Amino acid sequence: MSEPPARRRLGPALLAVGWLVLLLPPFYLSAFWLQTGLFAMAAVIAAIGLNLLVGTAGQLSLGHAFFLAVGAYGYTWLAGSPAADEGLSGLRLPPAVAFVAAVLLTGVAGALFSPVSGRLRAMYLGVATLALVFVGQHILLNATSVTGGFNGRSVPPLTVFGFVFGDTDDGLTVFDVPFGGLERLWYLGLLLVAVASLLARNLLRGRPGRALGALRDSETAAAVMGVHPARYRAAAFTVSSMYAGAAGALLALVFQRIVPDYFSLGLSMSFLAMVVIGGLGSVGGAAAGAVFVTVLPQLLGHFADRIPLVVAPGSTGTGLDASDAADFLYGAALVLTLVFAPDGLAGLLRRLRLPRPRLRAATPQTSAVGEPAVGDTLKEQTL
Amino acid sequence: MSAGIDVPELRVHDVTVRFAGLTALDGVSFTVAPGSIHALVGPNGAGKSTTFNVLSGVYRVASGSVRFGDAELTALAPHRIAALGIARTFQNIVLTRGTVADNLMLGRHTLTRAGFLTSALRLPHVRGEQRAHRERVREIADFTGLGARFDTPVSLLSYGERKRVELARALCMEPKLLLLDEPVAGLNTAERAAMARTVASVRDALGLSVLIVEHDMGLVMRMSDEVTVLDFGRRISGGTPQQVQRDPAVIAAYLGGATDAPVGEETR
Repeated sequence: MSEPPARRRLGPALLAVGWLVLLLPPFYLSAFWLQTGLFAMAAVIAAIGLNLLVGTAGQLSLGHAFFLAVGAYGYTWLAGSPAADEGLSGLRLPPAVAFVAAVLLTGVAGALFSPVSGRLRAMYLGVATLALVFVGQHILLNATSVTGGFNGRSVPPLTVFGFVFGDTDDGLTVFDVPFGGLERLWYLGLLLVAVASLLARNLLRGRPGRALGALRDSETAAAVMGVHPARYRAAAFTVSSMYAGAAGALLALVFQRIVPDYFSLGLSMSFLAMVVIGGLGSVGGAAAGAVFVTVLPQLLGHFADRIPLVVAPGSTGTGLDASDAADFLYGAALVLTLVFAPDGLAGLLRRLRLPRPRLRAATPQTSAVGEPAVGDTLKEQTL
Repeated sequence: MSAGIDVPELRVHDVTVRFAGLTALDGVSFTVAPGSIHALVGPNGAGKSTTFNVLSGVYRVASGSVRFGDAELTALAPHRIAALGIARTFQNIVLTRGTVADNLMLGRHTLTRAGFLTSALRLPHVRGEQRAHRERVREIADFTGLGARFDTPVSLLSYGERKRVELARALCMEPKLLLLDEPVAGLNTAERAAMARTVASVRDALGLSVLIVEHDMGLVMRMSDEVTVLDFGRRISGGTPQQVQRDPAVIAAYLGGATDAPVGEETR
């Protein structure tokens, strides 16, 4: 999109300021907010990945909860120690290696689904991936030596070159602020988000991104341009599951204990809500949607006593449970987005920034270029 | 643009296509000579678009063969046919979201190598490849009169410009054979003339073969070297524009009976 030069310079500047501000929370915010922020970061990573699949390739996945689980349990098992008394196994790999291996493992799981993800389109793939969530739940509950079964399994902290991203008593303080597990993980999370969004942006702007976009808009046209439809669909699915794997591993580190219950269909659904609210096809939009959907229930829960009709979880007062209230709110946000801003938060922002005359022409079109423009050509052919 | 690419002959031999009992193409044969502009004409439903879909691998044939040089196209998937240097445009414009540049760069897909991992990491050779191809794509945009629109989102372009993006995207594949499906449909007189000039100059500059489906008979007769006429899935005539215009079978197909009026006076 061609923007005035002043705006083009403003964008990166704002982005840089935003990142700098994000470095501050560990010095000011309480554990509750840091944890909320970390949940949001994990969601951002998964949403960026899902957005590659849904927004760019035009495919649907309801199976992302499964891939988050593969990432989370993969890390835990690979880095975990065997515990004979609890019947747990583990490979005791160095945690940093286990983290990378968990992401790769999720990639393998995604790639194994290629025969399905390469062939099925949009809705049909969505329905097929539903199966993954149920198979996943079954495995999580029954492969007890790996997952710990219903009660879950505690997650070994991440260490990189002897530095522990977890609660230890090495007494690390920075500017008089004691740095515990959440403070340290905060920066790991930021780094992962930065890497994830950078890689996604490169991918989208490069050859694969163009091929996937073409595939979404017309399979026939993409194939005639030389794009191998099945291969690219399967690759998008694999990459997307790797993002989910990284998000899952980060989540495991934040939770410190993971249980199968969390990786349910509801989780897949909320990821879908994130990319739709945020705006399909945009990395920033996916991030915004992820923050919105994860932070909202936490906010409502935290301020339950000050918001009418909402009560804190577990309290006996009459009113909506905070997490139910959040469900209602983001359900409403989803509907409002689809009706009034089908291109999500990202599209809303884009339209606000565009100069007036373009407003009409820049409205989203599902199949890219539909109706012929009314106007005549602006310029005669000169050859 | 450089001339002198090695363009093979396209030989369509006895091709039959059936859709559940309907015979869309019935033993159609024709040959597109290297470097020629060959027109495929016929009334609606004659099988022109079906022929295109066979040539680009979208439809499978019931019998017959299509040879492009040594390659048998009927056995190949669309993306493999694209890799052989056969590019096509669509009757109803099919562009992707994004700018003109994005769409044209898609045309470079078979000519570039960057994969998922190397693109995500933006390795130096990926950046180099991107830069080199973008330069060439800009040349093609200038050549097709889209230079000023290079970074404009296609959703903001006029219909005529989008038609030209389709042509330019096909050219970005550096094709040996260009299949144009109604390139001037919906364009005004000036735009039609301009498009015809572009197609002619592309052929002259690149030496590629062009197979064109078009309803504008005046244009077809003026620009093509050879014409194949289809009616109800059969080839009813073929030859130079002059021969075809005088062929009673063609006149009957177009006007529904034997008359002496030559085809080619059609104006739209």
